[in-house]
Amino acid sequence: MSDREIARCSRCDAIIGRGHRLSIGSVLALTIAAAAAWLVAVTAPLMTIDFRGGAESATLPQAILFAWRAGQPFVAFVAALTALIAPAAFIGLRLYVLAPLALGSRPAGFAWCVRLLHQAGRWNMIEVFTVGVLLSLVRLAGLADASPGLGLFALGAVTVLFATIESAGLKHLWWHAT
Amino acid sequence: MERCPRCGHALRLRKPFAVQRTWACVVAAAVLYVPANALPIMVTTNALQREEHTLLGGIHELWVDGSWGLSIIVFIASIAVPVLKIGVLGLLAWTVRYAPSWRRLERARLYRLIEAVGHWSMLDVYVVVLLAATVRFGSLASVAAGPGLLAFASVVVLTLAATWSFDPKLIWRDDDHRMSAATLAAT
Repeated sequence: MSDREIARCSRCDAIIGRGHRLSIGSVLALTIAAAAAWLVAVTAPLMTIDFRGGAESATLPQAILFAWRAGQPFVAFVAALTALIAPAAFIGLRLYVLAPLALGSRPAGFAWCVRLLHQAGRWNMIEVFTVGVLLSLVRLAGLADASPGLGLFALGAVTVLFATIESAGLKHLWWHAT
Repeated sequence: MERCPRCGHALRLRKPFAVQRTWACVVAAAVLYVPANALPIMVTTNALQREEHTLLGGIHELWVDGSWGLSIIVFIASIAVPVLKIGVLGLLAWTVRYAPSWRRLERARLYRLIEAVGHWSMLDVYVVVLLAATVRFGSLASVAAGPGLLAFASVVVLTLAATWSFDPKLIWRDDDHRMSAATLAAT
């Protein structure tokens, strides 16, 4: 298939495949960029609030830990799974698989990694989380001095990069591995 | 059992117990949606006042405050999407058994819509977690998660599980004969 062609099922109209737009090397480069952006997004504060002389800010892990300690373990777990673990797996597994593929060899446990990547893609909700941070900021705007942190900008980059990486799909990994 | 020669996953004609699992998740989600809405999902404290906010209450407050955009976004993410998911997946599970050939293409499209849009219902969960973690000024201003949040988070997870339990191939059950005839006619 050529660039930008889309194959659809003749019966149910679902997308079956897309033309190759990104090579293994490009996806690897994007994934490395996403890894850097994600590291910043997770370690830098997402937003800072100044209120009557005091200031509070939180990073993503801090927010999850806070929810855990405040008596909401299930919510904390779901947030951790969808906003921390799944995106980390999305990037980590891809790096583990793409680097050897780009060099021409097939990594150990390749099949398991791609199956796990399928699950990571399902559970990843980092883009929803990014909008969540934006919403929180806007909600607080009238009540206190709330400003976006470096983490939020990094999340924006992560969201865009993830969307691009995801558009390449998983099937091309199989084609390059055989 | 046959396995995929590429990735080793088990090959099955149908997802086992797809309809039953979908029903179980849909019913559980519907049941839990009641406390998710009835109980407050967020508790805010400022100066001497302690306010409990429910999902619908919060949306109403945003609207009255003039934040129409926010109000609509939260309404879509926390009310429209979960209700749509529960309704559509219930419909899909029901039609597989009782109306198997009714509007197959539209049902397939509905399923894909649910799949694409589903995870946005997590939005309010993230907002409450973030607000609770950042607005920590003691009795001057603080935000805490309410009991309804656990129910709502469960609803989100259950609707995701329902979506992933369902086997969309079931929509095309017994269509195979027509399909084979059409393929023969085309060649």
